[in-house]
Amino acid sequence: MAVKFFGQFLIEQGAITSAALLKAIDLQEQTNRKIGAVVYEMELMTQVGIAKVHQAQRNEDTRFGDKAVEMGFLSEDQLQQALTRQRNSHIYIGEALIKTGGLDKESLDTYLLQFKNDQQPYMVDKIALPAGITNQPIWEMMADLTNKMLTRGAGMSCKPGDCELIEELPSRNMVAEIGFSGNVSARYLLTTTPNSRKVIARSILQEEDIDSEPTEILDDSVMEFVNIVCGNIAAKAAQLGVQIDISPPIAHDQSDGAVLVPDNHTGLMFPIYLSDGEVFELAIFIHNEPA
Amino acid sequence: MKKVIIVDDSIAVARQLETIINNSDDFNVVAQGRNGAEAIKLYLQEKPDIICMDMNMPVMDGLSALRSLRQTSPDVNVVMVTSLGGVGDKYTEALKLGARDVISKPFDAETVIKTLQKIA
Repeated sequence: MAVKFFGQFLIEQGAITSAALLKAIDLQEQTNRKIGAVVYEMELMTQVGIAKVHQAQRNEDTRFGDKAVEMGFLSEDQLQQALTRQRNSHIYIGEALIKTGGLDKESLDTYLLQFKNDQQPYMVDKIALPAGITNQPIWEMMADLTNKMLTRGAGMSCKPGDCELIEELPSRNMVAEIGFSGNVSARYLLTTTPNSRKVIARSILQEEDIDSEPTEILDDSVMEFVNIVCGNIAAKAAQLGVQIDISPPIAHDQSDGAVLVPDNHTGLMFPIYLSDGEVFELAIFIHNEPA
Repeated sequence: MKKVIIVDDSIAVARQLETIINNSDDFNVVAQGRNGAEAIKLYLQEKPDIICMDMNMPVMDGLSALRSLRQTSPDVNVVMVTSLGGVGDKYTEALKLGARDVISKPFDAETVIKTLQKIA
């Protein structure tokens, strides 16, 4: 049970070998060109102009084409022509596998259907966020996937509440945290109550009786659960075209007190209500981009 | 009995993997490390048949350790066991660096043992 990409799914099903996947990826890398390469090939821009756009992109999060138009290297029409050419020559991994002999068309259709069913539990549902938050689909996906993995992965009976803006996260018996970097920068924090920690530990350790487990193992299980959730978030984000790297998990215990939202961050908190009345929280501290 | 080393910063995951592997008839866990640097040290000490290694670890991550291990010992058998298995770029990078397979977390006993049997 995890967010996967199609090539990985095919290997797990025994449909292709890892060598066949790498061969198909090689073909994709040769065929699927970046927009900079496309505009050069179309003689719309010189290498010098392309380098200037890349340099400008280092200081802000904009797409190559948009920046090239803004800097006057391309007209809007030329950009659209280049994007169309890029789209028309793009090949997906399934097509690449057929072209390199790794898979036939009939098998591809069958496995695509199976893959769609396998990934159905991870389709993102809409979650309402306060107005004015940038990159909303990413934070919605994080909250939604966390809820799904708590209920379907850890088997927890819980219900998410409405998102709130916070300045500090309430002190709980343990908080597991992972940092996100890449296209977005944020901190992901999951608080625990004694009961939620036990439910999570049971699912990670795959053992029913965990009453004699030391706190260290229970906390470590929660950190691993958060690691798995965030790995799946990174995979889902990649499907949405957003690259996210995750740091190894860390833990805050009750003696650390409330976790404050740092300056220049927006704190989102999603309360999670357990069926026994306890509440714990998912929080995302979003690093605000410079205006 | 094939010798296996587990490298994961999570004690819970390492324990789960150890139980699965030691319950099989074919494999035996001979050592455990908590980061990539320990993986390299343990490989030289134990000369295992297979290393099961996490990607996302402190000190030295799994992909850096894999790169280093493959440079000095091209025949090393490394299976990445990772929550990042679903990230296409990470998955293919691991295969390109020479990982024999990638297991996504959460995993079950059958997947782990079948993967090790394919390699051994």
